[in-house]
Amino acid sequence: MFKFIFIKELRDIIQSSRFTISFAVCSVLIILAFVMGAQNYLSSKAQYDAAIQENRNQIAAHTEWMMVEHSITLPPQPLMTLVTGVSNDIGRNIAMSGRGELRAENTRFNDEPIFAVFRFMDLEFIFGIVLSLFAKIFAYDAINGEKNRGTLKLCFANPLSRANFIAGKLVGSFVGLSVALLIPILIGCALLPVLGVQLTTDEWLKLSLILIAGILYFGVFLAITIAISASTVKPSNAFLIGLVVWIFAVLIIPRTSVLISGRIVDVPNIDEITAQKNRYRTQLFDEDRPKMSNFQLPEGTEIENAMTAFQSFMSDLASARQEKIDVFNARLNEEYSNKKRAQEQLALSLSRISPTSVFTLVTTQLAGTSLNLQHNFMDEAYTYQNAYADFMQEKTGSNRSSGFRMIMITTGGDEEEPEPLDPDELPQFIFSGQSFSEAAQAGMIDLSLLILFNLIFFGGAFRAFLNYDLR
Amino acid sequence: MQNSTIQAAPLLEAVELTKVYEDGVKALNNLNLVVREGEIYAMLGGNGAGKTTTINAFLDFIQPTSGKALINGIDANALPLEAKKHVAFVSENVQLYPNFTAMQNLDFFVRLGGKSHYERLDYERALHRVGLQSEAFDRKLKDFSKGMRQKCGIAIAILKDAPAILLDEPTSGLDPKAGKEFTRLVAELRDEGKAILMSTHDIFRAKEIADYVGILNNGELVAEKTKAELEGVNLEELYVEYMAGYMDEAPVSGSLSNNLS
Ligand SMILES: Nc1ncnc2c1ncn2[C@@H]1O[C@H](COP(=O)(O)OP(=O)(O)OP(=O)(O)O)[C@@H](O)[C@H]1O
Ligand SMILES: [Mg+2]
Repeated sequence: MFKFIFIKELRDIIQSSRFTISFAVCSVLIILAFVMGAQNYLSSKAQYDAAIQENRNQIAAHTEWMMVEHSITLPPQPLMTLVTGVSNDIGRNIAMSGRGELRAENTRFNDEPIFAVFRFMDLEFIFGIVLSLFAKIFAYDAINGEKNRGTLKLCFANPLSRANFIAGKLVGSFVGLSVALLIPILIGCALLPVLGVQLTTDEWLKLSLILIAGILYFGVFLAITIAISASTVKPSNAFLIGLVVWIFAVLIIPRTSVLISGRIVDVPNIDEITAQKNRYRTQLFDEDRPKMSNFQLPEGTEIENAMTAFQSFMSDLASARQEKIDVFNARLNEEYSNKKRAQEQLALSLSRISPTSVFTLVTTQLAGTSLNLQHNFMDEAYTYQNAYADFMQEKTGSNRSSGFRMIMITTGGDEEEPEPLDPDELPQFIFSGQSFSEAAQAGMIDLSLLILFNLIFFGGAFRAFLNYDLR
Repeated sequence: MQNSTIQAAPLLEAVELTKVYEDGVKALNNLNLVVREGEIYAMLGGNGAGKTTTINAFLDFIQPTSGKALINGIDANALPLEAKKHVAFVSENVQLYPNFTAMQNLDFFVRLGGKSHYERLDYERALHRVGLQSEAFDRKLKDFSKGMRQKCGIAIAILKDAPAILLDEPTSGLDPKAGKEFTRLVAELRDEGKAILMSTHDIFRAKEIADYVGILNNGELVAEKTKAELEGVNLEELYVEYMAGYMDEAPVSGSLSNNLS
């Protein structure tokens, strides 16, 4: 009996004009998402290559390591092709210094605002918005439509159990629609290498998990829709209720959770922090001011050495100040980033009551374009900072930040023609990102949540139908 | 054959069937009726009299408040899956699956009814029998007229080949010719030995083919006549009298009221 209903459901889907039209639209959108995503990635990649080259040229144009303004750049994640995530929103360049704070700058949207306009056309959007709507359009009258047509009565005039009917219906529509969706998606995947996006094995594995998450997400909305259909009599009501649910799940909950957590966890904004840092710097300077005005040359200093003595006095003061500032800033930064992460975590947890948020979280985690991308980039940049500082120490004898370089230049007195710098001498910044197993682990909670949502709503649809009035 | 001294076993039987809906409406009150092999039982009655409720009780679409609906002796509400093997159903205004062709609809419903040995030829034969033109066999149902859909509905019932058939206003909305053809088919099925319980508003057709006519009013069976008893009687007048009389709580002129079951 299950089999008959299952097959009937498949056939009903495939033969309906509703399916033909929405399948065509979805296929076009999906393929388009792949093509546009690939272009987005390739142009990011080109920018990245250009930035790296520019940095090398800049280094090679110098003869003194002291003069170099080295910066590191975040390479684009190949899977941003399908799941853009935050990759266009976060700063990609960090101007390196031997010590102190680092700041990522130059988001993609800064350079090319057009991407801010078209950001929504990635596969994650297509799944998140379009496919959930597709599920709604498809299944809003799955049960009550059959009731209104009288086919429900006709079916149940036969020795057919409700359980078999609803199970066949749920499984049939899920399998039918997701296989249909997988066709353009797999075509898109096969197109990736042709479009110029080369993926490693790890990335292919991540991609398949992303697709699984997509199908699970689709299943959630399908089940919700069928559950609504099995709890209402009029399809038009079911459609309206479904639309309201959809608006909340897809549009409202993910946004409000950010606002709510913003209220709950009070994070000072970055300008306040900068102001605080500046205040502290000024305060320290003011404290040093009396010392400076009371500066006395040590007894018996030659007049020609007076300048040097003063400079070294000032420089000692400055470095003592800088040390305090560094400690202070480090504390502020840590506090800030802890609060920020707590806020993010809260926002994400709150938003998880919506399957759409869960889906976004799991896909961005898998694609390596979640908020963690920014954190990882900063973390790896700070690690790199040590190697960079050591290198600079070795090359220049100073690991200070650039404010002090003038001193060294004036003392340099070589006659021979200086050699241009070799950029390859610098330690390389290699952004390692996440391996498949790391990404899978990070996404596991949300993937399980999607499965849980499926169980809940498929179960709900099942239960609703067991009590449905067949007449 | 219904006159044979040893009566055939009842295939459809309502035993003190009572249904009170959640909102307190008493849709059926102590209904008793029997339909045997080779009989047509026509239920007459105004809108809301309880005809559909009766049929729904046989199909386990509603749970009776008390009493039983038996199909081939099986309690339809206690053992619905078993009971429904023995009954076919044609609803008022059959719609079927609009995206399926006539053939596909037949195939699905007939298999659901437990008959999986049929081949296309059998389906064609059934569709021919109900008078659907061959060119329509492979067309989608959404383009079918009401009459054509109804023909598919009865073809499904024929192919299910169950001993009992339930028809809920099967001819409502059909044009006179289609209604006549439909009635002829029902009579044929009766002659093949089916037990048929149908609800209808068509008094003339009921008199023409029914072996028993039951008149329902407010959920009660107020009259039950055999074909012989209706011979020479104007059923329409009778019907109106019963309806009016019952409502006035003062039933009917003398001789006829004796025949109340
Ligand atoms: N779900 C329900 N809840 C409450 N009352 C109902 C429900 N379904 C039917 N009724 C009531 O039960 C009574 C019998 O209805 P039923 O549909 O059996 O009548 P019917 O004889 O088939 O009428 P018609 O000729 O209009 O089809 C009516 O009064 C109707 O309002
Ligand atoms: Mg009715």
